[in-house]
Amino acid sequence: MSLTATYRLGTRLFWRDRVMLFASVLTPVGLAVGLPVLMGNVHPDGAEAATTIFHGMLAILLSITAFMNIVAALTSRRDLLVLKRLRTSTLTDGQILAGQIASTVTQTVALIVASTLAVWLLADVPLPASPLLYAAAVVAGSAVMALLGAAYTAAVPRAELAAAFTMPVFLLAGVGAGAMGPIPLPSFVQSALDLLPTTAVVDAVRTGEMLLPAVNLAVWAVIGAVALRLWFRWEPRRS
Amino acid sequence: MTAIRVHELRKSHGGFEAVKGVSFEVPAGEIFALLGRNGAGKTTTVELLAGFQRPDAGTVRVHGLDPVSDRAAVRRRTGIMLQEAGFFPDLTVAQTVDTWRDFTAAPRPRGEALELSGLAARAGTKVRQLSGGEKRRLDLALAVLGRPDVLFLDEPTTGMDPEGRRDTWQVVRDLAALGTTILLTTHYLDEAQRLAGSMAIMDAGEIVAAGGMAETLAARSGRVAFRLPRGTDPADLPLPVTLDGELAVCRADDPDLAAQTLLSWAAGRGLRLVGLEVRTATLEDLFLDLPRSVR
Repeated sequence: MSLTATYRLGTRLFWRDRVMLFASVLTPVGLAVGLPVLMGNVHPDGAEAATTIFHGMLAILLSITAFMNIVAALTSRRDLLVLKRLRTSTLTDGQILAGQIASTVTQTVALIVASTLAVWLLADVPLPASPLLYAAAVVAGSAVMALLGAAYTAAVPRAELAAAFTMPVFLLAGVGAGAMGPIPLPSFVQSALDLLPTTAVVDAVRTGEMLLPAVNLAVWAVIGAVALRLWFRWEPRRS
Repeated sequence: MTAIRVHELRKSHGGFEAVKGVSFEVPAGEIFALLGRNGAGKTTTVELLAGFQRPDAGTVRVHGLDPVSDRAAVRRRTGIMLQEAGFFPDLTVAQTVDTWRDFTAAPRPRGEALELSGLAARAGTKVRQLSGGEKRRLDLALAVLGRPDVLFLDEPTTGMDPEGRRDTWQVVRDLAALGTTILLTTHYLDEAQRLAGSMAIMDAGEIVAAGGMAETLAARSGRVAFRLPRGTDPADLPLPVTLDGELAVCRADDPDLAAQTLLSWAAGRGLRLVGLEVRTATLEDLFLDLPRSVR
């Protein structure tokens, strides 16, 4: 019953949707493993360059597999009136959303772990010095991005527009974390991008610094939870 | 015991008042039909009863509980078949039922739910391949999965073929016989008349007629209709009739007696009353008799 049931449902549907798997598994994992491997082969400081780009790639994984995936899943279930049907069951609204968020977090963490092992094997990117900190940053980052994605669905008018509406988030997260390579940006833009939750996760992994990223993620979690409570739509707009 | 109590219920959507002070009660174990044309406010009323929307004014109680603030407790005792709710198109019928069993306390076994809704033969079919009527059957299977005390059915047979409608009526009757309270909305008047013990007719957000089905219909006149024999002046008939083309229609409290009177009169004159039809009052007559502004 309850949370575990919605968790199982979210997971089952994630792995069944072949088209979505291409977008939310193959593309981000391909990028997160492929680019570091490429860097490792072409750059003079192979392993170091691969490590830098892989850390940036965490932002891509978080923004695609956690954020974009939950936006697509929830908007399509909202538009298909499946969320409405779920609310006819004994599940509470909180259980429906928490189950979906927990499921999205699990897929994201699994893909990040798989990518971490792949780049270690294929591009000599060292395994995290502190696995605990790495795990904490990845899990917290996935949870915050999934929560923000769930809240962001309120801004997406129709399910077909989910990808278009999440693209800017993906680009900002990627540029902010340096996943797109060094892009010269005005300092105020870089400072603004440093405030993104994806940047906080990448910073924590890169530097081992805990406090500031934790505060950053906590603030974003509060923003996500409040937005979810205020604006989440369970049904498509009628007009 | 009253299972559903609605008092002075009001709800507006963006300045449009969809429900304007509706009140009714449904005793436990009864089938209650909420009738009205499209846009009359039936679905908004059901969504207020199910706790999907919060009333602007008035109260709703289901077994004494508020469906909005006590939603979890109300849900454990209610089954809901919404007019519009989606499925996961890529799950099969069996997988859909299994998924819902996960969300339901003490659910019916999958086989029983499929048997009851007449979908046993379609268990392995993906939901996207079902017809509209079959999806309605699946809707019903999910609504009754938790053996609810109270069942809300919003247009349960829309899109069904005649066999599907008959099967659904039988399920509704069987559940009511076991003590389930059922509130159904429909615009099929014959469906309401066959199933419901009491009814309310809604129009433009208000209840314009309500009462027990049998008493309401008994209080109305029946109808005898026949083709007026050629050359007969309607004024010569022993009972007053109205003409609808060639058809003479006689309204009478006791339509059987009226038919006998008319037949005796015709026999005495060697006339035949072709196409004779004798009918007690139907819900359709009641509906059609409502002022046109209300219909």
